[in-house]
Amino acid sequence: MSENSNLFDLSLRLPLDRFELNIEYTGSARMLGVFGVSGSGKTTLLEYIAGLRKGGRGCLSFSGESWENSKEGLFLWADKRRIGYVPQDHWLFPHRSVRGNLEMGKRRALEVGVDFEAIFERVVEVLELQSTFDSRVDRLSGGERQRVALGRALCSGPQLLLLDEPLASLDRTLRRRILRFLIRVRDTFDIPMVIVSHNPMELQVLCDEILVLEEGRIVERGSPEEIFRRKSMFDTAKEQGFENVFSGILVESLDRTITLELEHEGQPVRLRVPKVEGSVGDRVIASLASDDILIATEKPTGLSARNCIPARIEGVEETELRQFAIASIGEAIPQFVVELTQDAIDELSLKPGIDVYLVFKTNAVKV
Amino acid sequence: MPTIYETIFATLLWATMTCLVVAVPGTALAYLLARRSFFGKGILSTITTLPLVLPPTAVGYLLLRLFANDGLLGANVLGIDLNILLTWKAVVIACSAMSFPLFVRTARVAFEEVNPRLEDMGRSLGFGACRAFASITLPLASRGLVAAALLAFTRALGEFGATVIIAGNIPGQTQTLASALFSAQQSGNESVANNLLLVALGVGFVTVYATEHLTRKSQKTKGGSR
Repeated sequence: MSENSNLFDLSLRLPLDRFELNIEYTGSARMLGVFGVSGSGKTTLLEYIAGLRKGGRGCLSFSGESWENSKEGLFLWADKRRIGYVPQDHWLFPHRSVRGNLEMGKRRALEVGVDFEAIFERVVEVLELQSTFDSRVDRLSGGERQRVALGRALCSGPQLLLLDEPLASLDRTLRRRILRFLIRVRDTFDIPMVIVSHNPMELQVLCDEILVLEEGRIVERGSPEEIFRRKSMFDTAKEQGFENVFSGILVESLDRTITLELEHEGQPVRLRVPKVEGSVGDRVIASLASDDILIATEKPTGLSARNCIPARIEGVEETELRQFAIASIGEAIPQFVVELTQDAIDELSLKPGIDVYLVFKTNAVKV
Repeated sequence: MPTIYETIFATLLWATMTCLVVAVPGTALAYLLARRSFFGKGILSTITTLPLVLPPTAVGYLLLRLFANDGLLGANVLGIDLNILLTWKAVVIACSAMSFPLFVRTARVAFEEVNPRLEDMGRSLGFGACRAFASITLPLASRGLVAAALLAFTRALGEFGATVIIAGNIPGQTQTLASALFSAQQSGNESVANNLLLVALGVGFVTVYATEHLTRKSQKTKGGSR
């Protein structure tokens, strides 16, 4: 496969109950995120790509291989597409143990020339599944089920991994833990992925291109940084609040906190965040709610907050519900979105180009 | 005259043969009704269920018409005499006709309880439709299918009306536990009737209990682990 060739060439019209899924997409993102509110057609699109749903008009090819062409009457079912599909509800096989589930795709893996034993060992190691091997799947926790479902798909030797809301059914702590596994999978196996989610945070961390779906149509397309800092996106997370997501290297481990260094070409930016498992040199994913950040126009003193980061205002945005300032703390670091009241914006005279300090407590950062 | 043991053995044998006869077409039809949508599905389902609501003698009479010399499967139409009527084959055919709807209904529920998403998961792992059925659906529905077979067995064990119409009640040839009990009662032979009744009660209790046990267990496991 050539580096420059398009991975996906998709043209689809599929009538649904409330609207028609109408997707035109050509692109080469290896980590493609599909974002949208519930009921926007995300899962249907994923099932269509997986070959589990028929009845659309159009064509779909992946990596130059035609999977569907309604004009020519071509339709390959899922078993002919060599995909790994991880549905939201896992759907592990209840009559098989964890090992049995992981081995269900063995025959396909061997058929396509994958060294099954090697990939099996790697998957078990990366997803830390050793201790659950002989367990019945109905005795697993939510996080373990998610990992087994992911491992089952990986062990089958897929050329494309499709993840449907991989973290949706998990609580906040477990979400972060599984997110770390997903990052490991991304970095270890080098398999293109399509990830469907209504959570901006996981897509920001995992993807290099985002499609925003609304009533079955792509309404926006771009990098996570572009998409999730657009004004139109701020209100999509109105219930859970907008989360700024960033990654850094663990450079210092203290009793109850750690120091993260964000990737920055010039002066390194260091943040004090809560303690997390890991050793110096590890990459840590962190998030910070937009309403947990204070803005100061002068460097504050006598503060209990451990993080006071110089930044520059890049924009001030107002949506129907709230007001936001967009602040940049370094070129290679995603911009931070800060939620403010109109009074604060007026009083501090916030406008693009002015230098400020972003202030937040250690415990406001979730790792 | 055959002994009571010979009659019981013959009945158990014919009931077992009935299970074997209904198992394959019953499983296929149950899967079709549980999983597929097609024109005439409702009519097919109704026809399959009919023997459950018709008087067994009506089913027996229908079979008699079918296998009579001028019937659709009779010697005059086929050109060969299948030699069915008043033989053990007629017993198995009558029992199969009466057990088939019970098998199909129970097996259909067993298949319906296996979530089709599990088959989708199999397809995404490279399973063709047949392999997905054999490796996922069938094992998950197996308890329900065994329960269906046990119910069919029990129904065959107690079958009387359709059997006497096409197989008669010939001791040593076509007499079953049910028809032997009828004969014993009619001739006032109470001790034989009582013994046959005890056997019928015992076999019926064990099979129905086993069916319930299997059905309960299968409901616990086949929903898929989410």
